[in-house]
Amino acid sequence: MAMNADIFDEREQWRAPLVVSAVLHGTLFVSLIGYAYIVGSGQGSSWGNGGLGGDAMNATLVTSIPLPAKPNATNVLATENKGLSQSQPKPKVEEPEAIPIPDKKTKIKPSTKPVTPTPEKPREVAEVDNKIPFGEGGPVSGPYGVFNANGAKGGFSMTGGTGDFGSRYGWYVDAVRRKVSDNWLRYQVDPNVSNAQRVYITFEINRSGAPGNIKVEQSSGVPSLDISAMRALQRIDTFGPLPNDYSGSRVSVEFWFDYKR
Amino acid sequence: MRKVLLISFLTVICASMASAQTDWIRTGTGLGVDKLRIAVPEFKAATTEARNAQLQKVFDETLRNDLGNAGIFEMVSPSFFPLGEVGAPADVKLDAWGNPPPNAGMIAFGNLGVTGENIAVQGWLYDVKNPQNPQVLGKQYQEKASEDNARLIAHKFADEIILRLGGGVPGIAESKIFFVSSRGGQKEVWQMDYDGAGQSQLTKAGGISLGPKVSPDGSRIAFANLGGGGWNIAMYSRDLGRLVKFPSYGGTTISPAWSADGAKLAFSSSRTGDPEIYIVNSDGSALKRLTSYHGPDVSPVWNPKTGAQIAFVSGRTGLPQIYVMDADGANLQRVTNEGYAVSPAWSPNGQFLLFAWIRHYGPGAPGAQDIYIMDVASHQWVQLTHDGGRNDFPSWAPDGRHIVFQSNRTGRDEIWSMLADGSQQKQLTTNGANTQPNWSAK
Repeated sequence: MAMNADIFDEREQWRAPLVVSAVLHGTLFVSLIGYAYIVGSGQGSSWGNGGLGGDAMNATLVTSIPLPAKPNATNVLATENKGLSQSQPKPKVEEPEAIPIPDKKTKIKPSTKPVTPTPEKPREVAEVDNKIPFGEGGPVSGPYGVFNANGAKGGFSMTGGTGDFGSRYGWYVDAVRRKVSDNWLRYQVDPNVSNAQRVYITFEINRSGAPGNIKVEQSSGVPSLDISAMRALQRIDTFGPLPNDYSGSRVSVEFWFDYKR
Repeated sequence: MRKVLLISFLTVICASMASAQTDWIRTGTGLGVDKLRIAVPEFKAATTEARNAQLQKVFDETLRNDLGNAGIFEMVSPSFFPLGEVGAPADVKLDAWGNPPPNAGMIAFGNLGVTGENIAVQGWLYDVKNPQNPQVLGKQYQEKASEDNARLIAHKFADEIILRLGGGVPGIAESKIFFVSSRGGQKEVWQMDYDGAGQSQLTKAGGISLGPKVSPDGSRIAFANLGGGGWNIAMYSRDLGRLVKFPSYGGTTISPAWSADGAKLAFSSSRTGDPEIYIVNSDGSALKRLTSYHGPDVSPVWNPKTGAQIAFVSGRTGLPQIYVMDADGANLQRVTNEGYAVSPAWSPNGQFLLFAWIRHYGPGAPGAQDIYIMDVASHQWVQLTHDGGRNDFPSWAPDGRHIVFQSNRTGRDEIWSMLADGSQQKQLTTNGANTQPNWSAK
C-alpha cells in the first residue's frame, strides 16, 4: 500500500514538468519548421538545380562526343555546356596581351615578337582537345568517350604514340567503350552504396588487343566499386588487334567509372 | 492525454521522413549502350557479265543477314539510302550517309564482278563520322564463280567487319552447327551453316545417334550411339570423313563433352550400375571417375574459359538439377533450386550457364520448358524463351552472343537460334525432326 502511495505522489509531481516539456518541444518544433521554411526557401531552388544538373551533365557529355554512338538523350542543357566551352576562347584571346611579361624580363632583346606566335599555336591546339571533355571536370587529359548505363557512367581517354589515336581510329575507341561497358557488372558493387566518387582505371592495349598493366589510378573510396571496375577489364581477353596502319606498339587508356544507383 | 498526442505526432513525422527514403529503382547491367548503325548499300557490278546479278543478290543478302544477325549492329533501312550506286570509295558522300535519315555510323560497300570462271569482290568499311580517316577496312576476294562462293565471300567480309567493330570477337558467319536429324530415316548427325544454309548429312553410324559435340579444333565429333553393344561413345573424324575407333566402357555411356583444349572428354557412364561422370583422354585412355553419389549424374560440360570446372545434371535429390564441381570432382555445389533443370551449356567466357528448365514441375503446374541463362558467380538467372512448347539443348556460339537450341513450338522439334538476350529468335530447320544442336568452336 505504501508503495502505491509513493507512486501516486510522484505522478502528481510529474505533471507540471511534462506540460513544460511538451510546450518547449512544441515551440522548438515550430521554430525548426519556421527556420527550415525561411532558410530552405532561399536554398531550395539550388538543391533542386544541383540534382537536375548532375543528371543533365550525363546527357550533355554523351551528346558532345564526336563518336559514331548515338546520343542517349537530347537535353536542353546540352546547349549550356557548349556555351561554356565557347566562352573559354575569349579569355584566351586576351592571353597574347599578357605575353608582354616575357618582354619585361627580356626588355633588351628585341626578338620577343617571333617568340610570341610560337606558343600561341600549341595553345590553340590544346583548346580544341579540351573541348570534348569539358563540362565533366574530368582528369587533365579528359575523357574521350563516355558511356551511359541508367545512371551509371564511364568514360576514358586514349593516348597513342603519336597522340592522334582517338581522332584517327574513332571506331576502335568506340569498340573499347562498348566492350568495357558490356563487361562492367554493376551488381558487384555494394548495394548499400548509392553514390560514389569517380574511380579511374588506367591500362594499356598492346598490338594484339590484349589489355595489360591494369591499375586503379584513383580510388572511388568504395572498395567494391574499385574491384568491379578492375574486374570489368580483367574479364576482357582482347579488344581486337590495333589497326594495321597504326605505327605504335601500344595504346594507353584511362577509363573512368561513375556509379550512381 | 497530451503525452499520447505528442508521441503520436512525433511518430507520424518519423514515419513520413522514413517513407521519403524508400525510392528504389533497380535496373540490369549493360543497358543504355547503343548499337552501331551500319548501312550496307547494294554492291555495284564491276563487269557486264550476265551472271553478276544472280551472284550479287546472293552476296548482298548474305552480307546483310550476317551483319544483322551479329547482334552488335542496327541495320539502316535501305529505304533511307541516298540515291546513286556506291561501288568505290569515290562514290561515297559521307555527309549524305552520316546525316539523317540514314544517320549511319558505318557504311560497308564495294563491287562484285564475274570475269571468266572467277568472281572478284572488293569491299570497304568506312567510318562515316570520321571524314579525315574514314577507312576502317579494305578487302579483296577472288573465288570460283558460284553461289556458294558468293556466300562464302560475304561470310568472310562480314566476319572481318564484326572482328573490327565487335571488340575483337571473331564473327561466326563461317561457323557450323551440328545436330541430329531423322530426315534420312535414322537419327544421324548432320551439319549446316550457322544461318541454316547448306544442310548435309555427316555420319552413317546406324542405330540411333544422339548428342553430337564437336571438338574445339573442329576436327572430330563425339556422339552417343546405340549399336549392338548398347549405348557407347562414337567418334567421327571430319578430316577422314568416317568413324574412328573409340573404346567401349560397358553400361550405358552417353553425353560426351570436350574439354576446352580438346585433350579430354567427359561423359556419363553406368558401367558400375549408377550413371556417374567420368573423364578420359581424347583417345579414350586414362579413365577417371569424378562423381560417386547415388542417383544419376549426366550431361557434363566443361567451363571453356578455365577448363577447371564441370557443370552437370544430377538426380541425386529427386528431380534433375544443375550442379557445378571442380574438374577433379571437388567443391560440388548445386546452382538450381527447384523444378526440373537439364542440358547445361557453359558460355565461352565462362561467365554464364545456359540450361533448359521447367521451373514449376508436377501435376497442375504450367510445365513449360524454357531456356534460362544464369550468371555462375551470382546465381542470378533470366528466362530467354517464352513462346511455349518444349525448348531444350541450348548451345553457345563461339562469339558468346548467339545461342542455338531445339524447340517444338511449331509442333515438331526443330533447330532455332537467338541472341544471348533472347531476342531475334529464328527457325533454322524445317525438314523432318531436328534435335540436339551443337555450335562449332570456330
